[in-house]
Amino acid sequence: MTEEALALRDIVKSFGATRALDGASLVVRRGTIHGLIGQNGAGKSTIIKILGGLYQLDAGRILIHGEEPRSVTPRLVEELGVHIIHQEALLVPGLTVAEALFLGNELRHGPLLAPFSMRRRAEAIVRETFGVSLSGNMLISELSAAQRQIVQITRALLNKPRVLVFDEPTAALVRREANRLFDIIRGLRDEGTSIVYISHYLEEVRDLCDVVTILRNGRDVATVDPRTTPMAEIVSLMINRDIHEMFPKQVIPCGKAALTLQSLGKAGAYEDVTFTLHAGEILGLTGLVGSGAKEVLQTAFGLTRHDRGQILIGGKPARIGSPGRAIARRLGLVPEDRRHQGVALDISVRENMTLASLRGLTRFGLIDTRRERGQVMSLIERLGIKTPGPDARLRDLSGGNQQKVVLAKWLSAKSDIYILDEPTVAIDVAAKVEIYRLLGDLVAQGAAVLILSSDLMELQGICDRVLVMYRGRIVRRLVPAETTADEILAAATGALAPLDKAA
Amino acid sequence: MDGAIDQRLGVALATEDAEAEVPPLKRNRRGGFVRFAAIGALLIVFVVFAIAAPGFLTRGNLTNVVEQSTVLALLAFGMSIVIIGGGGDVIRGGIDLSLGANLGLCAAVFTVAVNAGLGDATATVLTFAAGASVGLVNAFAVVGLGILPLLATLAVMNICAGLELVLTQNTVLTANSPLLAYIAGATPLGFSLTDWTFLGTALLLLVVVHATPWGLRLQAVGGSVQAARSAGLRVPLYLALSYVSAGLLVALAAIVQAARLSGSSPGSGDILLSVVLTSLMSAVFSRRLLPSIGGTILSVLFIGCLINGFQLLNVSSYWVNGVQGVLILLVVAVRSVSRRSGEV
Repeated sequence: MTEEALALRDIVKSFGATRALDGASLVVRRGTIHGLIGQNGAGKSTIIKILGGLYQLDAGRILIHGEEPRSVTPRLVEELGVHIIHQEALLVPGLTVAEALFLGNELRHGPLLAPFSMRRRAEAIVRETFGVSLSGNMLISELSAAQRQIVQITRALLNKPRVLVFDEPTAALVRREANRLFDIIRGLRDEGTSIVYISHYLEEVRDLCDVVTILRNGRDVATVDPRTTPMAEIVSLMINRDIHEMFPKQVIPCGKAALTLQSLGKAGAYEDVTFTLHAGEILGLTGLVGSGAKEVLQTAFGLTRHDRGQILIGGKPARIGSPGRAIARRLGLVPEDRRHQGVALDISVRENMTLASLRGLTRFGLIDTRRERGQVMSLIERLGIKTPGPDARLRDLSGGNQQKVVLAKWLSAKSDIYILDEPTVAIDVAAKVEIYRLLGDLVAQGAAVLILSSDLMELQGICDRVLVMYRGRIVRRLVPAETTADEILAAATGALAPLDKAA
Repeated sequence: MDGAIDQRLGVALATEDAEAEVPPLKRNRRGGFVRFAAIGALLIVFVVFAIAAPGFLTRGNLTNVVEQSTVLALLAFGMSIVIIGGGGDVIRGGIDLSLGANLGLCAAVFTVAVNAGLGDATATVLTFAAGASVGLVNAFAVVGLGILPLLATLAVMNICAGLELVLTQNTVLTANSPLLAYIAGATPLGFSLTDWTFLGTALLLLVVVHATPWGLRLQAVGGSVQAARSAGLRVPLYLALSYVSAGLLVALAAIVQAARLSGSSPGSGDILLSVVLTSLMSAVFSRRLLPSIGGTILSVLFIGCLINGFQLLNVSSYWVNGVQGVLILLVVAVRSVSRRSGEV
């Protein structure tokens, strides 16, 4: 019995009519790293929030070290030695690193704080655990996402937890920091701590975890040993479908030039960027942070200006100085930061969808609600958006469905050119497939799609051509069928010598 | 395909970028600039008055500035504590609009109690009880009922103003008592008791808010309720205490004011605008761009010097209101701008 550090059995949890967890179980043996994977909406975060006492369960049992807590509250769970590191860093922006680390367990001289010892201890602990130096006097608001994550994890380790739950801890970390974290996690396991590790990155899970539980539709469909189970099998358990169905690529003959960038340059961002996006084409753009790819995309949508060169739309020179003009030229942007730039979370699905096309829906200056509703309903159906109804608040939809609403916004604006910035980040596999299918439909109807992505499979799976940028220049123009992920990677990292101005 | 379902450049790579040292820590330059500019403005005002206004730099005048500022300072300390605990967001964060009206109410309670022959000790106890009760009502409305502080304290402000009118019938009440006479007259070590109150409270709060675990936790609650909760702090307790502390500071201010005015007079609530200004302005003196006790002391002195200097220069006191309004706009604008671009 005490072999089990953690046992959640037959957990049921409903939100309104949706059943988020439908008898899911998670049993973690002491001293193991237990992976928890599944698509978004599979119930991963719900089960963790139930464990953390943030949600109350409808049915099921929770045992921590063989004991059943009287009630599951954040404080009580913490007292039983279970510590959860949430995905969004829960740190106070106005505190210093030292203060944030020791908040709640401050070092003191009598009744007063001991700021200098806190600072010294904080710096020493961060250096010991992560091997990086971080000033204890920096404000949390001055830190990068990775540094915040480091503080958050260090803080959790200070409490010497018996069970440690990581929810997507590496999303903000670079490779080296992530590796360091894996070493720490392995070390903790060897000291007897039990770890629950949630991640989207299957490779991480394979390398790190001793056991993996796969959730699908609110149930645990399998618990396997990731070292002996083929990755393809794990994926098909997650999505309940074969992996090769992921990229429904249709081949569309290229039409006329839709968007042309001619020797476009912007000081400090990119130079000499030339390419043409054709109707019926999905053109991929990729590059590391700082390669200029993102800035090129923003220039095309009028968010930033270029210094040199020109932009042509439909073969004619066009001045796109602002997003407003871009929309008037029938461009549509799906931004990366969906929550901040793509949608308004607190207004309804319907309002979000018609935000960019209200002019076409008004009569005598008022919104023709019947026509609006009709258009919205048909879009919801066409895109397969899972929503309680057109008037549901967008906040209540899953990430994938929110992204579909962003697309629907430009569909209802009847855009010709779609510019997408990392459209499938943090979206589950099933929703990804639906978005790929939708993009396929769009180009089949004559639209042109420019997509910035760092997901190599996505680039290879859906694009007709892929442009790779490195340090402000296009260094490779590749055709997916004739290239490999390794070649794209090598070009993006500058491992390949840049070609002369290619076709 | 298998083995790399979600291969992303950022994580899949061991690139030179990823392997490089952690990027050099970027400092919040804007915060530094704002702080520099604020202290610069304070110094400029000081120097200009020192040169232009006759008698500004004399010791008598400077202690006078402190004395005139004490009531404002005590209220502003209360406001800063409430903002620190409730968060710096002007709309949703902590704010206590009832401070000014509460000052009038407490002064009236003290005066009426003294005039009723209750004696200084009883009157003082009643005054502090009144101040603390108003704080408790605020706390209940904000923490218990979950009303936005801006609205909750606005309502309580009206309640206080009404009660003051009931007590005083909207007239000037004079009061004489040994305590008031002592406060008005005593000058231990050459400074008035009012000066000492300013100094003592300032030092005490500097320590409590910025050097104790309680203060740190209060700041944490104001910074992020979720983070504070996940650190195991009892958020409602800290919020409630911030409003009650503000109420107690108001009671202290009321007694100081009663001593200065020899009683209570209507119109105390007018001080609210200055209180809001000083407290918001205190944020520009801190690296964190949040109100602080130290910053509040500086802004109180800034406003005190302004008013005093204008008087010495024979500028109509009506101008002071306008200047304060402009300063509020400036301070709030600086804060919104740096917030928008400073935070991720």
